[in-house]
Amino acid sequence: MKKFIYADPLQCSGCRICEIVCSFEKEKVYNPRKSRIRVVRTRELIDLPIACIHCYSPPCARVCPVNAIEEDEVVKVIAERCIGCGLCVEACIIGAIDIHPDGYAYICDLCGVCVEKCPNQALKIVTPSQVSQRKQLEYLTRMLRGESP
Amino acid sequence: MKFYAYAGRILRVDLDRMKTFTQPLPGEMALKFIGGAGFIAKTLWDETGPDTEPFSPENRFILAVGPFTGTSWPQSGRFQVGARSPLTGVFGDSSCCGFLGPELKLAGYDMIVISGRASNPVYIYIDDDNVEIRDAKGLWGLKTSEAEKALKEEVGDWSCQAAVIGPAAENLVRYSGIFHDTRVAARAGIGAVLGSKKVKGIVVRGSKDVRVAYPDKFQELVDKLSEEYLRDPHIMRRRKYGTPILAELMNEIARWPVKNFQRGMFPNVERIGGERLRSEYRIKDRGCYACLCLCEKPVLIRKGQFKGVYKNPEYETISSLGPRCYVGDLEAIIYMNYLCNEYGMDTISTGGTIAWAMECYEKGIITREDTGDLELYWGDYDTMIKLIEMIAYRKGFGDLLAEGSRRASRKIGRGSEKYVMAVKGMEIPAQDGRAQKSMGLAHVTATRGADHLKAFPILDESIWENKIIVRYGREYLPELGERLNPKYKPFLVKDCEELAALCDSLLLCKSTGTLLPLESGAVYYPEIAMGYSLAVGIQVSAEDIRLAGERIYNLERAYNQRLGLSRKDDRLPERFTKVPSPEGPAKGQVVELDQMLDEYYKLRGWDPKTGMVTREKLEQLGLKDVADELERLGKLPG
Repeated sequence: MKKFIYADPLQCSGCRICEIVCSFEKEKVYNPRKSRIRVVRTRELIDLPIACIHCYSPPCARVCPVNAIEEDEVVKVIAERCIGCGLCVEACIIGAIDIHPDGYAYICDLCGVCVEKCPNQALKIVTPSQVSQRKQLEYLTRMLRGESP
Repeated sequence: MKFYAYAGRILRVDLDRMKTFTQPLPGEMALKFIGGAGFIAKTLWDETGPDTEPFSPENRFILAVGPFTGTSWPQSGRFQVGARSPLTGVFGDSSCCGFLGPELKLAGYDMIVISGRASNPVYIYIDDDNVEIRDAKGLWGLKTSEAEKALKEEVGDWSCQAAVIGPAAENLVRYSGIFHDTRVAARAGIGAVLGSKKVKGIVVRGSKDVRVAYPDKFQELVDKLSEEYLRDPHIMRRRKYGTPILAELMNEIARWPVKNFQRGMFPNVERIGGERLRSEYRIKDRGCYACLCLCEKPVLIRKGQFKGVYKNPEYETISSLGPRCYVGDLEAIIYMNYLCNEYGMDTISTGGTIAWAMECYEKGIITREDTGDLELYWGDYDTMIKLIEMIAYRKGFGDLLAEGSRRASRKIGRGSEKYVMAVKGMEIPAQDGRAQKSMGLAHVTATRGADHLKAFPILDESIWENKIIVRYGREYLPELGERLNPKYKPFLVKDCEELAALCDSLLLCKSTGTLLPLESGAVYYPEIAMGYSLAVGIQVSAEDIRLAGERIYNLERAYNQRLGLSRKDDRLPERFTKVPSPEGPAKGQVVELDQMLDEYYKLRGWDPKTGMVTREKLEQLGLKDVADELERLGKLPG
């Protein structure tokens, strides 16, 4: 079963600690622009981290002209093959892939350091079925309480 | 010597010549003055002085970050702004959290110094090495949130960070601030300095790395501290309520500025406190860069006159726009906070100045003739809402209030000076020194005028024994922890001022960065020295780092001394020193100011009679050049 990082927009405070620890874990520097997870934070109270959801038929892999993106348990960029064209960036539906300042595509590899360091427990590594199970439970709870779904 | 953690560059913006250039950051400056407030003090000392009018092109607007900015250190996502203050006429600086500080470091700068004055409105665009002074004609006049949005749209990158001023600063309201995200560097009128230079805002986008010297050890220390923070019950309470919960606590100890400090307690505190704000209005919790505490609690007012989504008012704002003006309506306070933010004004000075006018009106000193037929009654928030707009646009009576309470009272005269609750021209924030003696002293010794954050001596607020023992040992207990006992308070204030100067220079949050956590005693000089050594790569001891704090504080004091300030300016309004506190646990108390000042000057090594910084002290701190300059001007004691 594929896994991905689930982010709870209500738990997330927008502090960007996930970005900070990600860039540190991967490159030993502090630089959110090198992070594999990115927090979208707007004045309209949106705080939501976005990372690769490792989809089953990743559009990024399909458009890559040099076959630098492979899919296995996770979607993976082979940096040595990557030419930094950015077609994958355009193809990704949720904006989870970006071109590194050093010129190659880079995405979340599910190492989990952000999950561990998030002070607000806003991140989890889950399977799609775990998400659906939780939603089923929430839905039923609301129904039984007589709240509108 | 290689300095890690610093960007190593200073950005200069010369608006007279419409040019920008960079300078290397001198290593000696980094070691001696750390960053932020230290850099600001040094730059202001070198480049401005008694002849520099705050609104003149020669004044400097400085925005600086420190070695911890942009790292993972908890609560380090801040920046400091400074200038010679148009409100007080003396040293002025102010701190702000959010995301702009780290972004500036990522763009490769430790400090921006803006001099001169543009002939037309401009904004400063920074994208790593690409810096431009751009036309801002279409932005001039916009409120702060509109301006920030417009700037980001113009740049076309939502991930860049912007700091802007509002209409109040454009109109040179003397207590207007710098606004970023939903956070503010509010005090001392630094926004008006930027307004006088015709700069609407600064936009930063950075993509460089912040590198520390010993990454693994540094991160290990951060992880350890983060764990300690998240175990601390006081941090957890801050995460839950933010600062508004202090309303209930400060009312309990009668430390509230009710009716312009005529009283210390407010009858309906639970109607405007943190508990109600959380349970009835809060939408969610938000935090700033690398912050474990979630002070920001956006709120929703569901119906009525003030319907809408707003930023929550902080404790100071609740006090200042609330009980200080005898307003007991939380929704009105939330809305007035929103207005002050949109127009770009400091809520403490706005509330403080309005409260002064209300008391003068009550006493018959200010009449409808002065106000243009406005009636100023305690608690009348509809009038306050009108006044806030009138101040921002300097309309009618608002033009007078835009000058701040001290200047306004000098214009009105008729004994209105007596009701100015300010020190050095800066309105006293929401702490009645009679109910907490350390605060009474800290308000007068603060270098930017009455202020709680230049010392932030909170350890006597309740008896925080753990923290006192960790920092100072048992010998100062129990007196140091007793808020009504002046004993040891000069010692506490001196030490806290040095720590606070460090916080403003590193930069760290004083409230949740060093004061909290309360249980473990961290963070203090040893942790800071360790963090600094690991980040910068130069070994410093706890005493070295404390000395840097003392150096910065003395330089700020020397800056004011060069302007002619001395003990005569370290005065509280008579209400605090002569009129006993009327109620609650503080009943009958006054601030024993002179007694505490004598001891404070002695501990500081300053001249006890004049309160002036001495040559001996300055030389001991490695500031011989400062002593020489003061001597040349005849501004050394004796």
